[in-house]
Formats: sequence, structure tokens, C-alpha cells
Amino acid sequence: MPQAEPVAAPLSDAALIAAWQGGDEQAAAELVRRHARALARFLSGAGALEADLDDLVQDTFIRAFRSVGKFRGQCQFRTWLLTIGGNVLKDAARRAKRAKLVPLEQELLATDGDPHERAVAGEAEGRMRECLKRLPRLQREVFLLRAQQGLEYQEIAAALGTTPGAARVHYHHAVKRLKEYLR
Amino acid sequence: MKDDARLHDARLQELADRLGTAAAERLDVERTARAVVERLRAGPRAEGWTWLQPAWLRIAAAAILVIGGGLVTRAVVWQRAPASAVVAPVGEDLTDLSTEQLREALTVLDQPSSVEGAGDTGVEGLTAEELRALLQTLEG
Repeated sequence: MPQAEPVAAPLSDAALIAAWQGGDEQAAAELVRRHARALARFLSGAGALEADLDDLVQDTFIRAFRSVGKFRGQCQFRTWLLTIGGNVLKDAARRAKRAKLVPLEQELLATDGDPHERAVAGEAEGRMRECLKRLPRLQREVFLLRAQQGLEYQEIAAALGTTPGAARVHYHHAVKRLKEYLR
Repeated sequence: MKDDARLHDARLQELADRLGTAAAERLDVERTARAVVERLRAGPRAEGWTWLQPAWLRIAAAAILVIGGGLVTRAVVWQRAPASAVVAPVGEDLTDLSTEQLREALTVLDQPSSVEGAGDTGVEGLTAEELRALLQTLEG
């Protein structure tokens, strides 16, 4: 009976980063495939418009790959990427403010599914997004990293350069204020 | 986190879970990956301005410090120059000097100062008021 070919285990993020640093472009592409959706969710939750999402995801990866030498493995690559995404979004918002762009409504951009369901879901999501916008940036990011991305306080603290206790406090403040806004 | 003992609000968690999911699903990941690789291949032009801006700020700050420092130094040197010239000996202290000592002082003043350079020439540099004071001292 012929033996089955052993299935190669997927490379870790660290191995892909090392391969990219060694000049392997496909390693960079694989990291994008692996983390782009999580990053897009985070950016969308943090206030990015869907029309800008692709550009913001690209910009975040570009910035991350160019400064990957600074990544010391203090947290997961994805967590580090999300914090860079937060900075990219902040810079983009500053530029958009200067350019005074008028954004399209999120609901107008979605085209899949039942229009009524989409409208209801879009309304709830829109309200949540509006509420998140009112939070201070650190509270918003800690909330998203915790509630949306499912990260532990230890991991969040390492990525944001704070303590797990402080991250917990930011999270609870965010939850309290979101509940007030959504009431 | 699915452990809502820490979240205390299933509704909030549900909204957080849903937030951005549809938009992320619509993202064409393959296209994004290709675009990122192409941009990386193209070099660091895209982010150049981000790094240039602080670099220019640093250069401008350094230039301001150098120019400002130069101006301050020049101003201090110019302020000191007249003070170190012949004005200092002319004052109330001269009243205590004898005629002989005053003559010696005048001789010294008449000699060009090696420190101040060739342009400084003793009593010629004094103002009318200073000369008057000096003459009064000599007469008295």
C-alpha cells in the first residue's frame, strides 16, 4: 500500500516574515491572504468607509512590511498589523479632513442579500460604528481588539505598549459608554 | 471573546462580531495581495512623504538652531566689544589717580589695542561726553 504524501504544515507568520525579509515575495502575499480580512474588519469597525477599505488594507501591509524589522515578536503579527492599521486610518482621516471629502452611505455600497434585512443590519452596524467613533481612539481600539478580534488583555497591552490592567480599564470604559450610546 | 461574563452584554458582543464582517467578506483578498506585492516591488516611493516630512522638520529645526545660535553669539560679541575698549577706565575711579598715573593711563589708551584689532585707537574712540569727563578728571 503506497504511503500518502505528508501534508506540509502551513508556515508560521514568523517563518513567512523571515522568508519575505529574504526576498520571497510570495511570503508577503501569503501574509496578506492570511490577515487581510481580519484587518479589514478591524478598520471597518474603527470607522473606515468600505470604499476606502482596499486602499487602507494595502497601505497597512506596505507600512508593516517596510518596518517589519521593528517587529520584535512582543505580540502576534496580526495584532501588530492591526495597531499599524489604526495609525494608517488616523492618517487617512486627517488627510480626508483636509480634503473635505463627502463619504457615501455604507448602506448604498452593499449590494448583496435582501434589501430589507440589509437595511436593518446596516442600521444596527451603522449605529454601532457611530458610537465607536465617539470613543477616544485608545478605548475604541482596545474594544475592537477585545470584542471583535477576540484578543486577551495581555496581547492587547503588548501591542499598544500599555499594561494588561490599563487595557482592561479602557475596555470597560468603552463598554460602559457604548451601552449608554446604544440605549 | 465569547466569554460574556466579561462583556455583560450579548447584544453588544453580537454587534461587535458583526461589525465590518460583510465589508471584509467583499474584499478581494487575492487582488489586494497582488497589489501589495507590486507596490513593495516598486520601492518605498509610496511612503516617502511620511518619512520626508519629519526629516525636513528636523533639518529646518537644526538650521534655525544654527542660525539663531550664530546671531546670538554675534550680538553678544558686539555688545562686549565697546565695553572692553577705552570706556571702562574713564569713571569715578580716576579721581583717585595722581597726575602721573593719569598720564600713564593716557599713554596706554593712545596705543592701539592688540586685542581689539587695528581699528581701535585709544581716545579717538571716546564720545564727547566721555572725553569731557576725562578732561575734567585731568584738570581736577
